Amino acid sequence: MTTPILEVDHVFAAYGRGAARIEALKDVSLSVERGEIFGLLGPNGAGKTTLLSCLEGLHQPESGSLRIAGLAPRQGKAKLGVQLQKTALLDDLTVVELIELYTALYAVFPTRAQIDALLTRFDLAEKRTKFIRHLSGGQQQRVALAIAIANNPEIVVLDEPTSALDPHARRAVWDLIRSLHDEGRTVILTTHAMEEAEALCGRVAIIDRGQIIATGTPASIVAGLNINPVLKAAAELPLEQVRALPGAQAARYSGQYLEVETTHPQTTMPALHALAAQLGRNLSEVALRQPNLEDAFLKLTGRALSA
Amino acid sequence: MQRFLTLTKAMFLVYLRERSTLFWNFAFPVFLLVIYAAVFGGDDLPGFMGWMVPGVLAVNILAFGLISSATMMTEFRQKGVLRRLQASPVPTLTLVGAYIVVNVAVAVLQAALVVAVAMTFYGLQLPAVNLLLALPMVLLSVLMSVALGQVVSGVAPGSGGAVAIGQILYFGQMFIADLIMPIEQMPGWIQSVGPWLPGYAIAQLVRPPLQTGALSPEFGANLLLTLVYGAAAALLAAWLFKWEARS
Repeated sequence: MTTPILEVDHVFAAYGRGAARIEALKDVSLSVERGEIFGLLGPNGAGKTTLLSCLEGLHQPESGSLRIAGLAPRQGKAKLGVQLQKTALLDDLTVVELIELYTALYAVFPTRAQIDALLTRFDLAEKRTKFIRHLSGGQQQRVALAIAIANNPEIVVLDEPTSALDPHARRAVWDLIRSLHDEGRTVILTTHAMEEAEALCGRVAIIDRGQIIATGTPASIVAGLNINPVLKAAAELPLEQVRALPGAQAARYSGQYLEVETTHPQTTMPALHALAAQLGRNLSEVALRQPNLEDAFLKLTGRALSA
Repeated sequence: MQRFLTLTKAMFLVYLRERSTLFWNFAFPVFLLVIYAAVFGGDDLPGFMGWMVPGVLAVNILAFGLISSATMMTEFRQKGVLRRLQASPVPTLTLVGAYIVVNVAVAVLQAALVVAVAMTFYGLQLPAVNLLLALPMVLLSVLMSVALGQVVSGVAPGSGGAVAIGQILYFGQMFIADLIMPIEQMPGWIQSVGPWLPGYAIAQLVRPPLQTGALSPEFGANLLLTLVYGAAAALLAAWLFKWEARS
C-alpha cells in the first residue's frame, strides 16, 4: 500500500478566543492518494476553507497533524499549487508579469515558451499583455488556476474554483481540472455544489459544522445510506396525502417541485397520478431521480446542502 | 536573487501603475513646490527654495510612509495578496526586504524629481557634495517613515482607514514640525512640542546638508530621534502585522 500524499490526522482548529471563539474543525481526519481528484463538499461555513488553510500552512491547527508528501505544511509549501478563494491577483500587472511573479515565489523561472504554453492551455494566449483588471471574471479565474500550476506542483489545492462562474466558464474550468488529473497531479478542491463534486471528484468528504460526516466515492456514499429514489413532479398536492401513498417514505417541496421518496416507484407513480386526478390538480414533468449527494447530505444532516 | 528581483520588479510596477499613488507620489510634490514658490517665494526665490525644497522633501517623505506605503500594504492585505504570498514558500524576510527596497526606491525617485524641478525651474543651486550628504539622510528618513506607515497599516481597518489615519498624522506635523513653516514663527507650545516629532527630525536631517553642505549642530539628537522612532515603529509594526484582513 502506498503512503497517501496528503494526510490529515485528528485536526482541531479554531479562530478567535473567549466568547468570539469559533471551532472551525473538530477532529477531522482524511487521506488523499496520489493522483486523486478529492472533493471537500459542504455548505458555506462548514470548515472547508479552514482545512485547506491548515494544509497550506496559513492556519495553525490547535492539535492534530497534517502531512504533505510526508512534510509538515510549512515545509511542504513548495509541493503545492494554490488557488485561494479570494483570487489575490494584482490588478495592475499583466498576465505574463503575474505568472512570472508567482512562479518566482516558488523559485521557478519559466522561459517565454513555457509561459506561452501555459497561457495557451488556459485559453489566455491573447491576454498575455493585458492588465488583470481588464479581464472578465472567468478569465481571472483561469489566471488564478494557471498560477496554481505554474510552479509545476505535485498537488493542486483549489478553494471553490468555480463558485463565481457562469455555467459555460464553469465547464471550461472542469475540463482544466480533469486535465491536471490526467497529468498525474493530485487535486484537492472545495465546493458547495453537489453536481461539481459528482462530475469531477473520484472521492469526496462531506464536511458539516467542522466535522467529516462521510467519505468515499460519490456513488458509494449515496449507496451506503440506502436512500430511496425520488419521484419529482411539478404539482401542488397536500403533503399529508402524498406521504400516505403506497411506497412513499417522505415528501417535501424543493422549489416548486414536489419530491417524494419512495421504495416502490412503480406503485407510487400511478397512485400519485390518481391522487392528482381525484383532487382535480395538475401533475406534470413527472420524473424518477436516483439519489445523489444532495440527498445524502439531507439524510446525514437533516438539512439541505444548498440552503 | 532572481526571486528577489522579480518580486521587487512586480511591486515597483504596482506602485508606478496605481493612479492615486502616481498622483500623490509624483504630481502632488511638484504641485506643492510650485504653489509654495508662487505664494511665499518673494524676491529671493533661489534663497527661499534653499530652505523650502528640503522642507517639501521632508513633507513628501512623511506623506509617502504614512499614506502611500501604509495604503499599499493595506491593499495587499485586503485583496488577499499577502495571504497568497504567505501560501508560497518565499521566506518572509525576502518579502520584507523587497517591500523596503521598493519603498525606498519610489521615495528616492520622488525626492529626485522635486530636486530636479527646483534646480531646473527655480534656479536652485545644489553642489554635488550637498546632494551626496543629503542622500543618506533621505534614505534614513524614508526607512523611519515607512516603518511608521506600517504601524498605520497595522491598526487601520481598511485602506480607507489607513489613508485617514495617515493623513491626520501627516497634516498634523506639516505645519508644526519646521517642515514648510519655520518653527521660530510658531507659538511657544509648538516650539516645545515640535522638535519631538518625527517630521521635525526628518527636516533637521535633510535640510542642513542640502542647504549648507554640512550637518546641523543637533545632528546627533535628530539622528537618535529618527533611529528611536524607526526602531520602535518597526517593532510595533511587526507585532501588529496580520497576513489577513479582519473579516
